[in-house]
Amino acid sequence: MRQTMAIFVDAYRELNHRRLFWITLMLSGIVVAAFAAMGNDKEGLTIFHWSIPFPFLSSNFIPTADFYKFIFAELGVGFWLGWIATIIALISTASIFPDFVDKGSIDLMLSKPIGRVRLFLTKFLTGLMFAGLQVTVFTLASFLVIGLRGGDWEPWLFIAIPLVLVFYSYLFSMQAVVGLLTGSVIASIISVFLFWFLIFLVQTGDGATLAWRVTNEITSERMELRFEEQKGRIADLTDIVVATSIVAERGDESVIAELAEFEAELVMKENRLETSRMELEEEMERMVLSQSINDWFHLANTFLPKTSETISLLERLLTKHAGLVTPEPQDDDMAERFGEMVGRQDFEERYNAELDESHGPIWIIGTSLGFEAVILAFGVWRFRRRDF
Amino acid sequence: MHEKTSSPSSSPSPSPPTAPPESEGGREYAVDLHDVRKSYKGKVHALRGIEMKAQRGEIFGLLGPNGAGKSTLVKIMLTVVRPTRARGTILGRPIGHQATLRRVGYLPEKHRFPIYQTGRQAIEFVGAMSQVDAKTCRNKADELLDLVGMADWGDKKVSTYSKGMLQRVGIAAAMVNDPDLVVLDEPTDGVDPVGRKDIRDVLVKIRDRGACVFLNSHLLSELEMVCDRVAILVQGEVAAQGTIEELTSASRRYEITIAGSPPDWTDRNGLSLTSLPGQLAGTSTLVLPTAEADLIQDILDQLRRENRTIVSLRPVRESLEDLFMRYVHDPETGRAKTPGASKRKITRAGDAS
Repeated sequence: MRQTMAIFVDAYRELNHRRLFWITLMLSGIVVAAFAAMGNDKEGLTIFHWSIPFPFLSSNFIPTADFYKFIFAELGVGFWLGWIATIIALISTASIFPDFVDKGSIDLMLSKPIGRVRLFLTKFLTGLMFAGLQVTVFTLASFLVIGLRGGDWEPWLFIAIPLVLVFYSYLFSMQAVVGLLTGSVIASIISVFLFWFLIFLVQTGDGATLAWRVTNEITSERMELRFEEQKGRIADLTDIVVATSIVAERGDESVIAELAEFEAELVMKENRLETSRMELEEEMERMVLSQSINDWFHLANTFLPKTSETISLLERLLTKHAGLVTPEPQDDDMAERFGEMVGRQDFEERYNAELDESHGPIWIIGTSLGFEAVILAFGVWRFRRRDF
Repeated sequence: MHEKTSSPSSSPSPSPPTAPPESEGGREYAVDLHDVRKSYKGKVHALRGIEMKAQRGEIFGLLGPNGAGKSTLVKIMLTVVRPTRARGTILGRPIGHQATLRRVGYLPEKHRFPIYQTGRQAIEFVGAMSQVDAKTCRNKADELLDLVGMADWGDKKVSTYSKGMLQRVGIAAAMVNDPDLVVLDEPTDGVDPVGRKDIRDVLVKIRDRGACVFLNSHLLSELEMVCDRVAILVQGEVAAQGTIEELTSASRRYEITIAGSPPDWTDRNGLSLTSLPGQLAGTSTLVLPTAEADLIQDILDQLRRENRTIVSLRPVRESLEDLFMRYVHDPETGRAKTPGASKRKITRAGDAS
């Protein structure tokens, strides 16, 4: 315990020494101050005493407390902590492991009565301290702003601390292991950003192909329904043609003429049905293709940490537990997706249902931590076996 | 002589206490190494079966040219490098026994304290890592800063220190846990002559406290001044080991400088003498291969009987540098042995060469 405490105190001194830590904290303060300066009234958005007409954000549309929660989740965590502060943190902590394994420094540490596994993991945890302190201060300040300005003291906001920390740990584990292997700060920074970009692409691919798949499913179902309707109409028309032809055998001229019209309409409908059948087949092929591509993306995504989805979890959790309100789509709102017009609400419902089923919180956090555990286990294995 | 070695151990692992091995003088061996080997990728042999002993209460000097394996050996003792094979003990426990490291102090070569630490913080941090409690660390930091002459600089950032000041703080940090074994790798590197003298005094104090100081240095004159025993490492092997007195005894002789030409006789009472031209013009130097003053009396008497003028008489022995140079030179070629780890194939006892 004495050694662990000493390493943490030393890490705090290191953070204290790094200007970027204080710069980030100061920027966090500015973001929270901006957050506090904002509000909403019946007209729309307010900044200090200025009112900006923006009906979408007016208190008629979204209550003040929910407005702050929305800003906190979307901008505070989703944008500031999830992107800007993380980039600064990754740059700030990039030298932790290269400095740690530097000759003249590591020799002394390894000559002390502390196991290498514990030493590596403790050092890793000290790196998380940077992100931990930043997100804690930011969330606490946001909690106070929402409480004081919105009148809603929402404890669920603090779920942002473990979520952002877990999100940061996925990236920092990669940075730590590259730092350990190469001893290079530049290599650590470049590799972690490339890795982040790669997993961003895979996550985006997974999300986009899921949207494509859902669109194709909706479209193919709609086409299937239309096809069945067409078949029903043709069956009805066929019955009419049969009945008419029986009557026409009596030689009634007007009935014979009517029969000819019915037969022409039937041929036209059958041609249309054939076209629909071919379109349906094409759509089904597209759907199978989209499912297959989405399955591959999902498989790749399963093995990689899910940074964006971890941050998105916050919004889902706040929606569920803290009454976070997000704008609801209109019932009849149609949107064009992948060249097809689909109902927005229908799409959102199907898409979210798929997300809940295949991208649940346990899958997001569990598989991401699994990846992190593999990376750290590799780092520990190398650190244990390496001569310095 | 009672020796006790541990079972083979190459990785840190808890082990039952073993009785401390004792040397002939009854003092515990602080370092007792047997068959320590280190190969890299099976090709480069940095250490080729080191046998080495250092007692408590002595300053032990490890000498060797660059790449001889000195730092590798030290790092194996301190678990920084994993040996290919190693037997033996450090402070009576198998090499790699983690808890024993609590009783060891270490100053690595070209050590680097984090620039955000002050000297005091650096010492306290090393103490904490050695599991010394906070209060003791604070007290020891004051005491040691004073001991190494850094009392006025303890609260300044190490980034403001000179190389010599860093070495002083490094030595203080190596002593914060009151170690029974202090391993110092080039402790006087970059230190001015006054600082070196101070460091030597500190080393003597550590030794007098009963600890073993294991010193790795290139500065032979430094080692000669403070070391009780030395080992010379050449190409991963111990070329010689013992007290400086023991190692140089074979070279001890008397040199008599006389005026004029050398005598025509070449031995007296079984002691043969060699004649060399003297350093001064018109003189000759007679070299007598003995360290016993009694044995040269007959020769002096004979010289006086021949009315020869004795210009000087002095006992001579090899310096540590002479000794070192003798071992690092190939006796067949007369050239210095190749520096660095050797790729020469290892032959073990019983192997056909």
